[in-house]
Amino acid sequence: MPSKFSIKITNVSKLFHRQNQYTIKELLPAFLRGKQTRKSFWALNKINIKIAQGESFGIVGLNGSGKSTLLKMIAGVSEQTEGSIEVNGRIAPLIELGAGFHPELTGRENIFLNGIILGLKRKEIKERFDKIVEFSELDKFIDQPVKHYSSGMYLRLAYSVAIHTDPDILLIDEILAVGDEAFQKKCLNKVRDLQKQGVSIVIVSHDQKIIRDFTTRVLLLEKGEQIFVGPTKQALEKYSRSIESGVK
Amino acid sequence: MNWELLIELTKREIKQRYKQSVLGYAWVILNPLAQMLAMAFVFSRILPVSNLSVPYPIFLYVGLLPWTLLSGTLVASANSLIGNGKLLTKIYLPRKVFIQSTILAKMVDFFLAALLLVIFMVFFKVQIKPTIVWFFPIFFIQSLFTYGVSILIATFNLFYRDVQYLLNFLIMIWMYLTPIIYPQSFFPSHYHWLFAINPMAVFITSYRRVIFEGLSPDLWSLLTSLVVSLVIFGLANLVFKKLEGRFADAL
Repeated sequence: MPSKFSIKITNVSKLFHRQNQYTIKELLPAFLRGKQTRKSFWALNKINIKIAQGESFGIVGLNGSGKSTLLKMIAGVSEQTEGSIEVNGRIAPLIELGAGFHPELTGRENIFLNGIILGLKRKEIKERFDKIVEFSELDKFIDQPVKHYSSGMYLRLAYSVAIHTDPDILLIDEILAVGDEAFQKKCLNKVRDLQKQGVSIVIVSHDQKIIRDFTTRVLLLEKGEQIFVGPTKQALEKYSRSIESGVK
Repeated sequence: MNWELLIELTKREIKQRYKQSVLGYAWVILNPLAQMLAMAFVFSRILPVSNLSVPYPIFLYVGLLPWTLLSGTLVASANSLIGNGKLLTKIYLPRKVFIQSTILAKMVDFFLAALLLVIFMVFFKVQIKPTIVWFFPIFFIQSLFTYGVSILIATFNLFYRDVQYLLNFLIMIWMYLTPIIYPQSFFPSHYHWLFAINPMAVFITSYRRVIFEGLSPDLWSLLTSLVVSLVIFGLANLVFKKLEGRFADAL
């Protein structure tokens, strides 16, 4: 493995507090009676991974295994309780597409808004504006408020912005492709292009086919524990076995 | 500090507000104007507010504008982090930017509504005095105060929604305890400590002094409110820093 890493996760753990009472009205009496007001559990326990630059890495596990939590910590939106996470380069999340969109604004305004939210400068967005519109195939509708878009159009525009941010690291939570079949194919090709250009990719997915097609190494999580890190094929075999044992 | 992000979010805040309304942004001026006219009509009859140096509607408006700026900002701030929850849980952004853009958008409203004041002053032939330059330092301290309180409200409301309901209630009481519809001198002097500990009372009384009376503000009380604002601002930043890592988990 080359020594230059894009993401290095060392001994990372995450403690979650589940508050039982949600309002002060509930909290105060519980607190005064000395009842336990929160339950704590480890959502992730001592995770160690190192993702090389240009590597495509998958994270698999059953629901509640901590996949998305780990991805959130890599993205920097959630803080680990213990351990350290080092990231080299700019991250672009391809998750929850269009989170920064506003329905009353036009497609054009939303491209700028979302681009800046994803870390681009105005100037950079101007430079790649035509490419974004062309990829989304929405040039006729670009000056209409996005509330008049169909859900497919909405996703296409959001995807186009996210994929054109020139990231060093792309974080993908389930969504690799959107729209109709033709557009989905275009999305997958674009992800492949980015892989070829040396962009690191981290994919969280339940879809074993996607993991097999796009990653070379995989982390298998089970209830917050790191069960296995290694070549995709082996990891998926272990994953299948854990699914079967889960069914039993 | 990511200025482009702040400006873009502020623009979004402003643009979204009055889209799909016929009068659009004119509402920003129509709202305080209507409020001022109604209140001026009622209170000039109920309250025997006399020996003001300016007509009552103008006197009222100079109190109402900074008050609306504060109350509007606090109410909007309560929702500024929660309303952007989708972004906060998915993408790393300097999180304070959502509070800052909320405040900036309200300030734009404030200055537009203040244009109307200038028109009124010309209409009522109120002379503009050089002490009006004091407006800027007073406004700066008010902004600092507002920013600090907004950070606290936005942060706590993210964990406990009780804050926003409590806030509406507190704002109502706070408004009556602030010399907006009446001058401070309306109360006997043994009540004046109430205004001295209320920064909003200090700001509004100061605005009136520098705009209407050509006097400089009472420096001692202005300095006190500056210290109070700085303490709240410092405290708010500590609280924010301590809790922001847990925002995404709590949302």
